[in-house]
Amino acid sequence: MTELRHDAWTDPGPTPGLRLVPDLPRAVGDGLLAPEAGLDQEMVLRRRVPVTHDVVTLVLEPTVPGTFAYAPGQFVTMVVDVDGVPVERCYTLSSPPTRPHLLTITVKRMEGGALSPYLHDRLRPGDRVSVRGPNGDFTVAAHPAARYLLLSAGSGVTPTLSTVRTMADLGELDDVVVVHSARTPADLACRGELDALAADHPGLRVVWVCEDDSPGSASWQGPRGRLTADLLAAQVPDVGDREVFTCGPPGYMTATRALLAEVGVDPLRCHEESFVLGESAAPAVPALPETGDAPVALTEVPAAVPGTATVTFGRSGREVVCAPGTTVLAAAQQAGVSLPSSCGGGLCGTCKSGLLAGKVEMSHQGGIRPREVAAGKFLPCCSTPDGDIVVDA
Amino acid sequence: MSLLEPALDPVPAAAPARPLTPQREALLRALDARTPGHSLPAPLYTDPDLHQAELELLWQRQWVFVGTSAEVPEPGDYVTLDIGRASVMVLRDDDEQVRAFHNVCRHRGARLVTEDKGSVGNIVCGYHRWTYSTDGRLVHAPQLGPDIDPACLSLLSVHVREIEGLLFVCLAADPPDDVEDVARVIAPYFAPHHLGSAKVAAQIDLVEDGNWKLTMENNRECYHCDGHPDLLCTFFQTWGLAEHQVPDRMRASHERFLLADAELAQRCAAQGLPYPTISDLVDRPLGFRVERSPMDAAGESFSRDGTRLVQRTLGDVDGFRMGRLGLHAQPNLWLHVCADHAVTFAVFPVGVDKTLVRTTWLVDADAVEGVDYDVDALTEVWRHTNEEDAAFVALAQRGVSDPAYVPGPYTETEAQVDAFVSWYAARIREEIVR
Ligand code: FES
Ligand code: FES
Ligand SMILES: [Fe+2]
Repeated sequence: MTELRHDAWTDPGPTPGLRLVPDLPRAVGDGLLAPEAGLDQEMVLRRRVPVTHDVVTLVLEPTVPGTFAYAPGQFVTMVVDVDGVPVERCYTLSSPPTRPHLLTITVKRMEGGALSPYLHDRLRPGDRVSVRGPNGDFTVAAHPAARYLLLSAGSGVTPTLSTVRTMADLGELDDVVVVHSARTPADLACRGELDALAADHPGLRVVWVCEDDSPGSASWQGPRGRLTADLLAAQVPDVGDREVFTCGPPGYMTATRALLAEVGVDPLRCHEESFVLGESAAPAVPALPETGDAPVALTEVPAAVPGTATVTFGRSGREVVCAPGTTVLAAAQQAGVSLPSSCGGGLCGTCKSGLLAGKVEMSHQGGIRPREVAAGKFLPCCSTPDGDIVVDA
Repeated sequence: MSLLEPALDPVPAAAPARPLTPQREALLRALDARTPGHSLPAPLYTDPDLHQAELELLWQRQWVFVGTSAEVPEPGDYVTLDIGRASVMVLRDDDEQVRAFHNVCRHRGARLVTEDKGSVGNIVCGYHRWTYSTDGRLVHAPQLGPDIDPACLSLLSVHVREIEGLLFVCLAADPPDDVEDVARVIAPYFAPHHLGSAKVAAQIDLVEDGNWKLTMENNRECYHCDGHPDLLCTFFQTWGLAEHQVPDRMRASHERFLLADAELAQRCAAQGLPYPTISDLVDRPLGFRVERSPMDAAGESFSRDGTRLVQRTLGDVDGFRMGRLGLHAQPNLWLHVCADHAVTFAVFPVGVDKTLVRTTWLVDADAVEGVDYDVDALTEVWRHTNEEDAAFVALAQRGVSDPAYVPGPYTETEAQVDAFVSWYAARIREEIVR
């Protein structure tokens, strides 16, 4: 019996074991765990775990036997059938890969979001969703360092959760500081769990920063307001010696980037993930933005790259925040503004639109003429916003 | 027949001529009915079937003037030319070369561009968005199967030849090659005027109510020039006349012409500009006449007093008193180049009794409207003259459509009309047996 099982396990094929600690002679769990199953599969909702008044953790189990391999901080793309329409969003995994049998995502309810209200109100245990992934390289595993600083705000806490849980499980919580910002104490997700880990692990320190008190409860005693350079320098005096991971909404990202520069952190040691990004459907398009459903992950961007931008569609009055590298066409699709398009690559001119305000970076292939550009036209399919823009659509 | 005689198996000397379509046969019959030296028989001006045959035999086989390169100044700029049911798109590609394509999508054939002129990035079919680069390559065809090679689906190209900024196209697969001879002869006349780098100051389309040949014929004589008071301020009315043909009433003006002509010949010689008139109107496919001629009054331009209309010279000429360089090319072009501007006339058949005359005024690219020239003043003389000519052509069309019309004899002063008509008949006869 044992022999049989062993045979079944010892040939996991090309799929690697857990990869968090790359210099181990064998991948963690190698030979002990069931072979990995891909994350690309249907999964079943096993449990819903309320986290805060508007955040829920969804526990997913595989339909293909096996375990999951990924790195903390990575995200998956989830496709859910909402009233016959497949809706696709990206979510950072909040579970640690050291618990490889189930996946969790932790979702904040965004009113008007395309998916989160459904996940909160209607997705029931036993329901199925499609998952693809994992993707992204916003992960401590890719940036080995002696000391880490994990900065997050709002639902940007999810990669922090996965990372801290993984490190704790592996006994590697050597020197990690978490600084998480939220609106009120009631919005602090998994506060109890992180505080308990910090109590048990001298190598972990958690700083909660709240803007305001929660209505009807005791006033917040910890650091107040938004994260500032002074606050950060006071809480983390050795910030300059740390590998910094930042995840949060666009405004927070922009502000944090500036204050990290102010306190003198080497930009090469700063890693970012913005969580406003939605679908990752189109291959050429890194992700599509939506203000709302979060937390989501995209490819990591160096801190030096200009950040997110707000794209406003003048005629339809819609607005969407998108990450660096997001094309305006992708932003439009995400905002539900349908722009005509065909080639998606700056050839055919089908998507030609007016740019009412702001600037874009365009790299077309003959789909537009300089004269048209001079007349305020551009091709959304091959343009990324350079700062906030307003599109005539 | 004796058995010893070899059986005569008549081998035709040439491949048997394909039987002519009824339209072509009617066209030949009409040409056969023409009395030399007389205007054409009525059906050649009025019969839609003959017109159709003419489009195929002449317009789709000869080099046709389409416009100036100034009309497609930048990559992606295009003009279209409709010849009967055929449409050609002439555009400047990204390498600054002028190219011409059939205006037909390689997918399911939709018309690609529908405007007379415009500017495109790539050439995009409005139907299913097949996209061609400006060199005609198919670069985007959504969902085209992997077994189909887009390289075989480039736009079908059309021959195009630029001569010193003048653009000619030929829809034939094997265009008449005499365009090269003509280019060699006329290029030295035009080179100093830099039409290729000029800019369009104005363009006016006028549709005349007449057959295109009447439009061309009308242009080939100044027998009717009394009807052009504005033009006659500067245009010597004895243009094209031999000494003995000059009527007494025009003697004084002719004396002025002779003086001005001698003077202009000297100026041109001093500047190394070719001067002699070269006329080869009947025998070659691209029949042409190039000439330099003085102008009356101040002798500079088509204004009422002959003074310049643009304060900058167009091209490399020394001074403004340069008269005009004229070119006539068959089937459909005439033009004048003064020191300060050029004006080209392109003639396109729209129907058997409708003809588009497109007049384009070119000036130096750096000339500034409102400063160096005024568009109204620049265009005035030819606007008026064109309208007067349109009225003449319409009169002629009405007359030749009358059952009472009998072709009449050309006068001595209408030798170039006769040359044009003879050229026309010769080309049709040539092509009809090909
Ligand atoms: S969709 Fe073809 S250029 Fe934008
Ligand atoms: S006919 Fe041109 S793309 Fe279909
Ligand atoms: Fe006239």
